[in-house]
Amino acid sequence: MPWYLYLAFKQLFPTKRFPFFTAISVLGVALGVMVLIIVTSVMGGFGYEIRRMIVETEGEVTVKTTTTIDDVPAALREIRASPGVAAASPFVKGPVMLMAAGHPAFPLFRGLEVGSVEDVTKLSRYVSPVGALAKLDDDSVILSAQLVQTLGAHLGDEIEIYSPLLIENLKNDEVFLPRRFRVVGQLYIGHQQLDSSTVYGTLRAAQEIYGLGRNVHGINVRLKPDAPEEAAVAVLNARLPAKLRGYLWMESWADFLWVLNLEKSINFFLLLFIVIIAAFSVMSSLLISVVRKTREIGLLGALGASARQVALCFCAQAFVIGVSGTTLGVAAGFGVLAIRNDLVHGIANLLQREETLRQFYQFSDLPAHTLPRDLILIIVAAIAISTLAGLFPAWRAARLKPVEALRNE
Amino acid sequence: MSESILSARGLAKTYLSGDRRIEVLRGVDLDVAAGESVAIRGESGSGKSTLLNLLAGLDAAEAGRLEWTGMPVTTADATRRRAIFLGMVFQAFYLIPEIDALANVLMASRILRAPGAADRARARDLLARVGLTERSTHLPAQLSGGERQRVAVARALMNTPKLLLADEPTGNLDEHTGDAVIELLLSLCRETGTALVLVTHNIAHAEKTNRQLFLHEGVLR
Ligand SMILES: Nc1ncnc2c1ncn2[C@@H]1O[C@H](COP(=O)(O)OP(=O)(O)O)[C@@H](O)[C@H]1O
Ligand SMILES: [Mg+2]
Repeated sequence: MPWYLYLAFKQLFPTKRFPFFTAISVLGVALGVMVLIIVTSVMGGFGYEIRRMIVETEGEVTVKTTTTIDDVPAALREIRASPGVAAASPFVKGPVMLMAAGHPAFPLFRGLEVGSVEDVTKLSRYVSPVGALAKLDDDSVILSAQLVQTLGAHLGDEIEIYSPLLIENLKNDEVFLPRRFRVVGQLYIGHQQLDSSTVYGTLRAAQEIYGLGRNVHGINVRLKPDAPEEAAVAVLNARLPAKLRGYLWMESWADFLWVLNLEKSINFFLLLFIVIIAAFSVMSSLLISVVRKTREIGLLGALGASARQVALCFCAQAFVIGVSGTTLGVAAGFGVLAIRNDLVHGIANLLQREETLRQFYQFSDLPAHTLPRDLILIIVAAIAISTLAGLFPAWRAARLKPVEALRNE
Repeated sequence: MSESILSARGLAKTYLSGDRRIEVLRGVDLDVAAGESVAIRGESGSGKSTLLNLLAGLDAAEAGRLEWTGMPVTTADATRRRAIFLGMVFQAFYLIPEIDALANVLMASRILRAPGAADRARARDLLARVGLTERSTHLPAQLSGGERQRVAVARALMNTPKLLLADEPTGNLDEHTGDAVIELLLSLCRETGTALVLVTHNIAHAEKTNRQLFLHEGVLR
């Protein structure tokens, strides 16, 4: 080990003495890293949960065309034969007008093929009462939770749905009656965006409302779990006729995911300031150390040390603080993440607010998902910032001339 | 005793203090032979420390020539050559407080290379010769002034230098301890054949060396 690294270690961790200065500096960096890990992981967890919810309600891929898909059996055959594909289910989706006990609403109607939808999605998990989805027929619907709330609808209520085709018919002076449905269940996913107003009915009912005949708007596709998503979609698109194209869930939800990512990035940069402030404390304690050790620095010069080596000695101290703080911070961060739900519930219990928590947050358990990319970014940024903090003290130390340093008494 | 290891000719140094020029050294000539001991006395502020710093190559002279073992010293190679050619002892010891006595001695060779078994053995041997075997794992703060200066002497001799420069090494010590340190310094230099330039106020100490010089008005007599 070169002498400047040896001395850097000894100055940080002196023989037989508790290293207070070092401990404080390391703790500062560790705190910043810990908070960064926790927050980016929880935010990543939200993103991950949302991905799961999207995939569990729509499948990973949606095959669409500019108008409607006409030869549905052929398209399904082609999709199901694609190597990365596990299952496919056609759907019709579009806005309708709904009347329930005199209350109007303009939800989205999603027509599902009851026989195949569960091969692609896990919608039934979110439906109550249990089994309602499988029993769905052409005269019944399931309402999303938010819609149930705004309409004040109950199980067994009758609702009326008006097709947008109504307008066309009115122009031709035709009488067009709404279609009546019975509410047989509600669907609660647990996320604002996904629970917003949607009516779930059968594919046939939707085709009727939209006058589609046997055509559909699109096909939801589930991929085989081991296949890389992008590659599977590329293979699928190569097989499909030109007018059909499969979109990965990320593309379909790009805007929403962008906002989510932006929030995460902003959080990251705000919290990075904790590390930057910790780096200032590293810098000031190293500057104090340079001043306190002026004479020893002079002596090192007298022993034949070069200015560059003296600078390295202080840079190395900042680097070691950065590495130790980051290691400790990563460990503490994952430690807190491991007990996050106990912590959250403990605090909620203490404040007797467990119910409020469940009501106002989309998840009753705090999700967490650490992306390797985020972890690497945090580690590299924290170590780099701490090491940069050592440059100024190192420069001050290197600038000391041994004669002047030794004269300092 | 005739081979000259240090040769200084016409060394001059001026300090600017405000707009006043202080001519501290105005042409110092000095030759030190291998193994020889030289004492330099002089009033406080006469430039003794300035001269030692010039001889050590820690500071550049404005005029004059300096040679170590017959080779001119330039600022570019002084740092590299210094560790091998000379050792220094100061009034204020300047031990590194975070490491123990043995590690302080070893520090001198550490700057040249990663210490091996031979270096460790030599450091231990030197500590034994200054009578501090028992104290080798003590931190500087746990040592008395005299003990600290003995560690500093061991450190200065660690790289088997040809020359030892001591700047008032007894200045911070009581009379009795100071005498002991000077005895030790002289006997160690004699044993190892190391030349010594000793700056001191103490006439008794100076008289123990081979040659006594006096720095006055910027020249050495
Ligand atoms: N860096 C400096 N700037 C200005 N004056 C200095 C400096 N260093 C030393 N001097 C002056 O040079 C003179 C000699 O100093 P020094 O060599 O330390 O004397 P000594 O060691 O003999 O007591 C003193 O008058 C001192 O004030
Ligand atoms: Mg002096």
